[in-house]
Amino acid sequence: MLVSCNWLRELCPVDATPERLAAALTARGLTVDAVDADTAPGDVVLDIDIPANRPDCLGHFGIAREVAAAFGVQLSPPRALPESIVPSDELAGLVSVTIEDPGLCARYTARLVRRVSIGPSPAHVADRLIACGLRPINNVVDISNIVLLETGHPIHTFDYRLVNQGRIVVRCAGEAMPFTTLDQVERKLTPEMLVIADDRRPVALAGVMGGADSEIGNDTTDVLIEAAWFDPVSIRRTARRLGLPTDASHRFERGMDKDGVLAAQGLAVQLLEEIAGGQAVPGMIDCYPAPGARETLELRYQRVQRLLGYDPGAEAIHEALDALQLAPREAGEGRVEVQVPSYRVDLVYEADLVEEVARHLGLDRLPSTLPLTVAPTENETVHPLAERTRNVLAGLGFQEAFNYSMLPEGADDRWVPKGTLPALALSNPIAEQLGFLRRSILPGLLQSADLNLRRGNRDLRLFEIGRVFLPAGAGDQRPDETLRAGLAWSGLAEPRHWSRDDRPVDMVDLSGAVAGALSHLQPGLAIREERSETPGFHPGQATSFRGADGRELATAGRLHPELLARFDLPQDLFLAEIDLDAVLAAAGPGLEYQPIPKVPAVSRDLSLVLGEGAGYRQVVDLLSSRPAPATARFEAVDRYVGSHIAAGETALTIRVTLEPYDRTLTDEETERYRLDLIEALESSDLPVKLRA
Amino acid sequence: MLDDLLRIEREFNQALDAAGLDPDAVEAIRVRFLGRKAELTGIMKKLGALSKEERPAAGKAINVLKQKVAARLQEAADQAGEAQRTASLAGERVDVTLPPRMPWTGSVHPTTHARRELETIFRGLGYSVESGPEVEDDFHNFQALNMPPEHPARDGADTFYLDGGLLLRTHTSPVQIRTMKDRKPPLKMICPGRVYRRDWDATHLPMFHQIEALVVDEGITMGDLKGTMDVVWKRYFGSEVETRLRPAYFPFVEPGCEYDISCQVCGGDGCRICKQSGWIELGGAGMVHPAVFQAAGVDPERYTGFAFGLGIDRIAMMKYGIDDLRLLMENDTRFLGQFPL
Ligand SMILES: [Zn+2]
Repeated sequence: MLVSCNWLRELCPVDATPERLAAALTARGLTVDAVDADTAPGDVVLDIDIPANRPDCLGHFGIAREVAAAFGVQLSPPRALPESIVPSDELAGLVSVTIEDPGLCARYTARLVRRVSIGPSPAHVADRLIACGLRPINNVVDISNIVLLETGHPIHTFDYRLVNQGRIVVRCAGEAMPFTTLDQVERKLTPEMLVIADDRRPVALAGVMGGADSEIGNDTTDVLIEAAWFDPVSIRRTARRLGLPTDASHRFERGMDKDGVLAAQGLAVQLLEEIAGGQAVPGMIDCYPAPGARETLELRYQRVQRLLGYDPGAEAIHEALDALQLAPREAGEGRVEVQVPSYRVDLVYEADLVEEVARHLGLDRLPSTLPLTVAPTENETVHPLAERTRNVLAGLGFQEAFNYSMLPEGADDRWVPKGTLPALALSNPIAEQLGFLRRSILPGLLQSADLNLRRGNRDLRLFEIGRVFLPAGAGDQRPDETLRAGLAWSGLAEPRHWSRDDRPVDMVDLSGAVAGALSHLQPGLAIREERSETPGFHPGQATSFRGADGRELATAGRLHPELLARFDLPQDLFLAEIDLDAVLAAAGPGLEYQPIPKVPAVSRDLSLVLGEGAGYRQVVDLLSSRPAPATARFEAVDRYVGSHIAAGETALTIRVTLEPYDRTLTDEETERYRLDLIEALESSDLPVKLRA
Repeated sequence: MLDDLLRIEREFNQALDAAGLDPDAVEAIRVRFLGRKAELTGIMKKLGALSKEERPAAGKAINVLKQKVAARLQEAADQAGEAQRTASLAGERVDVTLPPRMPWTGSVHPTTHARRELETIFRGLGYSVESGPEVEDDFHNFQALNMPPEHPARDGADTFYLDGGLLLRTHTSPVQIRTMKDRKPPLKMICPGRVYRRDWDATHLPMFHQIEALVVDEGITMGDLKGTMDVVWKRYFGSEVETRLRPAYFPFVEPGCEYDISCQVCGGDGCRICKQSGWIELGGAGMVHPAVFQAAGVDPERYTGFAFGLGIDRIAMMKYGIDDLRLLMENDTRFLGQFPL
């Protein structure tokens, strides 16, 4: 809000410089964002950020109250209050007010000023408006704005002739209907919106904006002034639904002062007489079905110390409350009772009074102490694998990326298993490309890879750790949020080096990264590889990593050539996704010491030829199912595909290493075992034979 | 006889000089002068031709020469061996300045760096690290935080909604509510995480990262809040950093405040970065509002608590001098590579 220093000084006689005013207000919670000495001639304008709980400061008078408290000066007496809040017979004959729903309009006052002549405002009025960022229009409209800016209370002025029979009815619209506001826009009212009507039709949208056909015009002579109190929630709903935030709705939805209507009426009438040559009909109509009682609030002195950490003393607390016009009164037993002014709608709790004391005395008085609290930390809810995974993947040479949790529609369809429920849609996305909650990390990484490749960053290894959102079914049920790690690898398998030739990354590299990561995250966990059906991957180069119970821990694969072409990528991209919740649940043996063998191990190589349909894992499954004279380990030590064997066949040398603990195996035992393995292979259904 | 010995010695010396440091040549000389067929070996037989008087002296002279030859040969062989070893090592010399065979260098995001550093500081002070769902309900994101429906403070957090009324959390405060509901005080926690606001321009991203801290116990004061922030920001930004509190409004704290740290660029004298104020605003803070305690099932008469929050991305940008918010979400490897693990 823009605040004129000249205006402020009229309301509160302080001689502090604008800079000192700004510092004092900021220290009290009314943050001054700018001090502008250039825009308004002869004036300095403060741009003040008014917090949502201080609607009383949405006018110069409210700011003046804070200045008075800050500098210990008296406010100037109020400029004008209505001489009478009783309608004269004359007024009662001209205007009537009916409130149909007192819950939505607690108070409605009306006055009538006749024989007004519309014209431009005098310079001193126009200058004030300009200083506060408003454009002068005509004297009557300008007066409404002056009243708003000074008292903070919005008023509305009607052309009396255009309010049928001067009958004001405050009611809900009751039915959907079009209504043209004074900005000449036709709006669609809904039944629950509060309107000001005459006995035939709405003439204003209560607390938001007036209607075009009761507007003050150049020929207006009689001005009907409304100053009222409307329900904050109702006003806020209407303003939001119509997309029509106004200076008035901004104030009403924060809570106006029910007694503030009096000062607003008083000032409005005074100015209409002074500036616009009008003559007020004596008295005021004040429709106030259930006047609010004065609110009181208690503060325990000891509570101040308990919340702030220091004891300002009873006297200082009293002085602070007094300076804030809260009329403190000793209430015995270490308590003080305050009268809450009608404009301080924010003071509800005892803690609110502690804040008043704290900010009046200054937050720089707070001591600097540390809590002595020792709290249990053993039930932390943070994901136990998240940081480990970051370290492991960065250690493997990947770079952490961040992508949005939202994706364009359908972007993750090829990255989720068949039968996954559709992605959750945002009902108010900020952009089409951020419309749905992701069910996979990979579309984001694919985008990041695309960006890098287009920028010429040809060697990339990215990872991202974040949640994916798997719909749980019903619309109001929170989705299952699982933590995933995604990997993207393109370009070289190893850093370019003068000692070797460049080698592009392939599936074996990617699977190594995934298996390597899993071996760090769940040491000793048995992992089985299978073909993955994920449609985003190349159908022949996609792996599913599964735990002992068959649950999928990770998928890895080469980007499907179709997608490669669709993204127009210049080179192959390999992607993997690790389900960290599944890895966590797969609880492996963990870190547990196994005795180191005391005798040397022995190895035997089996040179095999695998026909189509036989895989390394199947062969090893078969071999490890045979009884062994000691712990047996299997590894592939050589692989050959080429002209020395038939097409479709793979020559594979599998080394089996026997690791007895403390008894050296005899040659006969080892040989018997080897022969048994060969026998097992030969008698199996697998297309495997010994290589000659 | 003595002439022969003198000649042999002369020939030996010449041969040895000619052999230089070649171990094979030295070995050949050894065979030639001390081998079975060597003249010096055979010359003993010629002693018989000498007179009885001459024999002892001649025999002694032969032995002296033999020993001398043997000693010099040993010395030459040692030198030759040493020279050969030196030459062989020299041949294995490499250019130690050649680029080494490096493994790939991974990195973590600057926001992760900042978050981890803060987590380390808080853990050192005895805080636990908590998390909660990113898809929240209205109760945990707003109502329990003293923001009933149509509360004007909801304006500050423009919210993404899902069909069905759920929403993307606009702050990590719901984690405070959930943790208070699940556990009894004393409580000392931070909750880092992703949050979402419907705001996208040069200084806002629709998704960013926050950390909030919460301490609940008997006797927690706003002085504890001030002291904790002093410690945290001195440890994070450096011991010369000052913290300042200013009154401010957040529905979930009372008294509430915003907090600033002294500007790192100008040291508090005023510059472009701090808009000449000498201070940089970091976030909001305050004493937990009694209504929040009530919603979370904590007795506000018995317990007090403080909370404060901050944007991690912004802290990271300040710490590492990142001047464009968009860099945080582009994932350009030339950017990411600047933040090794
Ligand atoms: Zn500065």
